[in-house]
Amino acid sequence: MPTQRDGAPASEREPLPDPRVTDGTSVTSDTTDGTASANEAESAATASRPGNFVGEIVFAVLCVAIGILALVVASQIHVPPTANTVGPQVFPYIVGGVLSVVGLATLIAVFFGARGEAEDSEDADATMGTDWLTVAKLVVFFLAHAFLIEYIGWPFAAALLFFGAAWALGATSLWRAAVAGLAMGLVIELAFGVGLGLSLPAGPLLNWIPIFNG
Amino acid sequence: MDSIDLLLNGFATALQPQYLLYALLGVLVGTAVGVLPGIGPAMTVALLLPLTYTLDPTAAMIAFAGIYYGGMYGGSTTSILLNTPGESASIVTALEGHKMAKLGRGAAALATAAIGSFIAGTLATIALTFVAPYLADWAVSLRPNDYFALMIVAFVTVGALLGSSPLRGIISLMGGLLLGLVGTDVTSGQQRFTFGTPVLADGVSVVIVAVALFAVGETLYVASRLRRGPISIVPVTSGWRTWMSRDDWKRSWKPWLRGSAIGFPIGTVPAGGADVATFLSYAAERKLSKRKDQFGKGAIEGVAGPEAANNAAAAGVLVPLLTLGLPTTATAAIMISALQTYGIRPGPLLFDSQPALVWALIASLYIGNLVLVVLNLPLVGMWVKLLQIPRHYLYAGILVFAAFGAYANKFNYREVIILLVLGVAGFFMRRYGYPVAPLVIGMILGPMAEEQLRKSLMISQGDPTYLVTSPFAIGAYAFLLLVMIAGLWLRHRQSKLEARLAAEDLATREREAISVDAQVTEGSHRSGPQEE
Repeated sequence: MPTQRDGAPASEREPLPDPRVTDGTSVTSDTTDGTASANEAESAATASRPGNFVGEIVFAVLCVAIGILALVVASQIHVPPTANTVGPQVFPYIVGGVLSVVGLATLIAVFFGARGEAEDSEDADATMGTDWLTVAKLVVFFLAHAFLIEYIGWPFAAALLFFGAAWALGATSLWRAAVAGLAMGLVIELAFGVGLGLSLPAGPLLNWIPIFNG
Repeated sequence: MDSIDLLLNGFATALQPQYLLYALLGVLVGTAVGVLPGIGPAMTVALLLPLTYTLDPTAAMIAFAGIYYGGMYGGSTTSILLNTPGESASIVTALEGHKMAKLGRGAAALATAAIGSFIAGTLATIALTFVAPYLADWAVSLRPNDYFALMIVAFVTVGALLGSSPLRGIISLMGGLLLGLVGTDVTSGQQRFTFGTPVLADGVSVVIVAVALFAVGETLYVASRLRRGPISIVPVTSGWRTWMSRDDWKRSWKPWLRGSAIGFPIGTVPAGGADVATFLSYAAERKLSKRKDQFGKGAIEGVAGPEAANNAAAAGVLVPLLTLGLPTTATAAIMISALQTYGIRPGPLLFDSQPALVWALIASLYIGNLVLVVLNLPLVGMWVKLLQIPRHYLYAGILVFAAFGAYANKFNYREVIILLVLGVAGFFMRRYGYPVAPLVIGMILGPMAEEQLRKSLMISQGDPTYLVTSPFAIGAYAFLLLVMIAGLWLRHRQSKLEARLAAEDLATREREAISVDAQVTEGSHRSGPQEE
């Protein structure tokens, strides 16, 4: 978990495309270009993105709210008269209490500038702003997948999810994404539904084929 | 010796063709998925959990052990060849290994990581073989209040030390405890936090939560900040046959052994985990090396030590898992939940009640390790190809597999919806710096802790001092204090070291940029980086 590293000049915060990708043979001394510095620069930029402040406050408030809600719900848990010293309420009370208090502490800390450190990830570029549109697209396709499983069958719902996600994440060849999605859906259906006997619904399009109808 | 007999029995089981096949498959799939960028060991294990739904427990656990070791191993390839280090356990490997790769010594880095992982994994598994049965014997005598103390230790260390912000870690842990409470209370039969809905009466499945946080949350987070443009992988220049020179061997073997010695004990301690182990090993190698000038520029010791420590810690984590039923990492928590789906109660009695399973599992760890080292060096080319998978396909595939895992849990689309809701929560947790691992661990440990608390207070007839007065409990709380202090100190050291490395890295680069113009401005205490 790298903390704020200082000193990366602003010019280096652009992640440069790396020309060496296609060069499959030799790596010599010309390797200290912008790509490595982008790594360091990104963590320098993580801490100071203004848009996150409101979000962090909202999230901390939400944690406190969940803590309080937990306390309220805990107080309504029915305690059977047979219960001895520690009934079903005690642990929920502890959890709700600690959550509210620590949530409040975090809220105060955020207010006074102790900002969260976004998680590192191999494929995430922390210098970029948030691409909410892509996230929204993924969520929509995920919902569509969930609701369509029972109507069009698991393999096709899965193919739709794959295709939608690949498109949202920037696939250029859409037909290839569609074929890959369909292949993945069918392979999982065959391996797990047919092969291992999990009851994945094959859907009306495949149910007439005997092996899918087992 | 007794445990040797049992181990031999375990080998007899694990070497049966079908179990050998599962071990092989587990290692292959685990490595493949572990190599994929963005997928750490915890996500690997969570995503592949559905694979085990239809296997018998022994086969499932053997496959799992392979997936676990393979996933741990796969990560090192990613961090050496890809210029974007992922999880913190591989940051130090990336520091030195990636620089080695850039100097054209990628094959040596991969080889020292593979062989070091094998040696450390084997040594740690041997330690596990001999330590675990005794620990389990002893653990049987622990009483509920002792257990409760142990859980508190795990809670505090996991919450406060996994991740960069103790407050956020504890919130995450509490979230996990709360999710663990949802459902029907076993002791009193009361429904808690179900809001009257039958879907929640059985509780929330740990598998769903783990997959949601690790796979869906991660995918959404990556999607929000996807690194566009070409993927830069450092090509492995020489073939694997020329992997390590005599000098490399000479410089590697001590770090391997030291890494193993550092990693195993740290892995066994709650919240030790691979992260701390790799960092400590790196710091030790840096200090002990005769070629300090190379550190930060591709020192082989900096790959050999941490990678060994990493794998030794992975085996160390299995000690509390098998003997106490205590998961100390997210991966371990998911493995416990896998055991629970088979109705197996992890805990000190596991060695007595399921000896065949436990010893077959341990034997398969030896086998898995061997398979790993045999597979990995020749297959490097294949793993490199995996790194080049276009990211839109990779993450689309992760989402489909996550959705599959959720649906296959109960064959109900509502599970997929729950998965999405938790995944969105995971996205925001990542975004705002709340570590997700404590949540998964809390969810597993919560119900256990509550049970022990109730038992303790039943024994003491409501006297809370019973919780803190047993000698073991006192020892545990004292230990907790020690670990907290040591942990916070270590973290301080670690961020300082990372900051310094980053600064040095920058300085080196600047100097190179300047020396291109043939003017060296700084009085350097180091020689140039390309002395190779």
